[in-house]
Amino acid sequence: MTTYIEIALNSLVLGGVFLIVAIGLNIVYGLSRVMNLAHGSLYTLGAYFGFTLVASGVNFFIALILAPILVGVAGLLIERTVISLMRKRSMVYTLILTYGLMFFLDGLVRYIWGNETRFIELPGFMKRTISVAGVNYPVFRLIILFIIAAVMAGLMLLLGKTKTGITMRAASQIPEMVSCLGISMTWVHIGAFVLGCVLAGIAGVVAGPLFTVYPTMGHQMLLSSFVVIVIGGLGSLRGAVMAALLIGLVQNLAEFFITDLAMVIVYMMMAVILAIMPRGLLGEGRFE
Amino acid sequence: MKRWLVAMLALSLILVGSGAWAAQDPIKIGVLVPLSGIVAQGGVEMRDGIDMAAKEKKTILGRPIELLVEDTQIKPDVAVSKAEKLVFKDGAIALIGVFSSGVGLALAKNIDRLGVPFLTTHVMTTEFYGLHKWVFRCGQLANDQTAIGNVNGILATPTLKDRTYYVLVHDYAWGHDAGARFIALAKKSNIKIYNDSFDKAPTSTTDWSSYISKIKAAGVDGIYIAFITNVIPVFAKQAFDFGLQKTMKIVSAAAPGPVELEAGGEACYGIFGASDWSWDVNSPTSDAWEKKYFETYKTIPSDAAVHSYVGAMNLFNAIDKAGSTDPDKIAQALRGISFDGPYGTVRISAKDNCARNDAVLTETMAASSNPYGAKVVMKVLRTFKADELGPPE
Repeated sequence: MTTYIEIALNSLVLGGVFLIVAIGLNIVYGLSRVMNLAHGSLYTLGAYFGFTLVASGVNFFIALILAPILVGVAGLLIERTVISLMRKRSMVYTLILTYGLMFFLDGLVRYIWGNETRFIELPGFMKRTISVAGVNYPVFRLIILFIIAAVMAGLMLLLGKTKTGITMRAASQIPEMVSCLGISMTWVHIGAFVLGCVLAGIAGVVAGPLFTVYPTMGHQMLLSSFVVIVIGGLGSLRGAVMAALLIGLVQNLAEFFITDLAMVIVYMMMAVILAIMPRGLLGEGRFE
Repeated sequence: MKRWLVAMLALSLILVGSGAWAAQDPIKIGVLVPLSGIVAQGGVEMRDGIDMAAKEKKTILGRPIELLVEDTQIKPDVAVSKAEKLVFKDGAIALIGVFSSGVGLALAKNIDRLGVPFLTTHVMTTEFYGLHKWVFRCGQLANDQTAIGNVNGILATPTLKDRTYYVLVHDYAWGHDAGARFIALAKKSNIKIYNDSFDKAPTSTTDWSSYISKIKAAGVDGIYIAFITNVIPVFAKQAFDFGLQKTMKIVSAAAPGPVELEAGGEACYGIFGASDWSWDVNSPTSDAWEKKYFETYKTIPSDAAVHSYVGAMNLFNAIDKAGSTDPDKIAQALRGISFDGPYGTVRISAKDNCARNDAVLTETMAASSNPYGAKVVMKVLRTFKADELGPPE
């Protein structure tokens, strides 16, 4: 029984990290129609900012706030200098552009921080294990669950209860109408891109101590995020939540029971869902 | 007559001059290492080890050495196309380096077409024994040698003996070979193995929690891992988070990189494994080498760097010995050549083109004061003689 509790907790942690990255990617796509292939590299950037801050003596929780802000600033620069120029062109342009941007950011990370694997040092109390229903579980992993829950609650509040959030949601549905109301779509696009980058940054800081930090850590995460948004439905936030949790669980169970075929099962599940539910688990996905 | 003399003098000056220029044409050696991706740090250490050998050797056949470095990205297809560029476009007369058995085997398959000798300093698969007349291994221990070292090490170490081992490997040619070799040998030596058909994790694995849960559920007290060097500390760190090292010992089929060990800190204590060398080896040659390496590259000397250095020295000396850049002559010179370096005499077998050398069993632990500022050391527990590790010739 304790093993199953441990698997469930592991699934929530893994699914939670996937969720934060994927939801950032989904927001950028849903609100500004940019499929950002450099999203994984922004997640990497968040992890490295987190590492640098903590290594400089900044408290981990302060770094968890500062690093995503720095990634947000980087996102703002990217949006203003590169993405905005391509916005009116077909999506293929932004795909190629962000693909190139991914390599640029990876190279930049390697230039600044080198190739070595880095570990984000945690405060002493977070390195311990705690008994949860008879399972000795790492405290940091439990804290990650709280961080993810807090981020998701904050996001739901922002998008559901604030004027800014409601405007953003409206813009994702009928952008022309929002423009007619005198709201600048440029600001919506900037806001969406920066928000997506901040989420990637949060995921990076959280994943740093969990999976370690290295220059190409974002590539695998980008792939996993795509699986989440394909299964959840492109542009669907609720779908992404369900898909992330599902993938976390399936991957953990598969690794436990049929280790050698774990990733085959995850990708097979994506293919099956894509075939029978092309708009994702909740049928909310959009295709263009 | 005078005009003739002047013309002859001018002609001879031109000929001598051009001869001198030709003599200065560098000997080009293609260096194939991973400089991007998760093993990039290992690739940098390999490159630096080879670079150190080139700087020390200075010339081959009286000509300066030029190293042409290419990033393989540890992808077989990329490595083959980079090798083609090095040989056909840049004029490399030999290839050296290569991380990963998959990449090494892909290059070996193309060696007739490439038409140059290839010496790997890092490929561990046993398939390299006598693979091709132009393919050599001189560097990291092979899987069979590591398995013997680790099994003998387990039997000789009271804290490792009488444990049941869970075997977990990276899912590619080297990992499979390393896992199978260890299990076969361990069972012969009455070491208990929990999973004969060992688990294979994708090389892209970043979250090891489900594997750790599985190991915990198995109730074992030992883990045998065959992971890409730089991933070892990542696994150790996550295992440490779950408190695994409190009850279990980890034995590794590959030596962890010192830079990653540093980053992993306390979580990386208690990893055992057989390897060529550690900076804890104390001999005048070893001490001098590691001092020079540290001064040149400002990083902790690693196993990857030292065995790449030794492999490169054997290759460079073989070309000199061959007195030619002809691949057959270089290959002939490589067979049976030896180099006395930081871990003793490293000889390339004339029988199977692969190296024989002494090695060490190490355990990672907190380092005492040292010139490199390292906090973690691969402490030498015992030394293996080349004959003990084999294979017999």
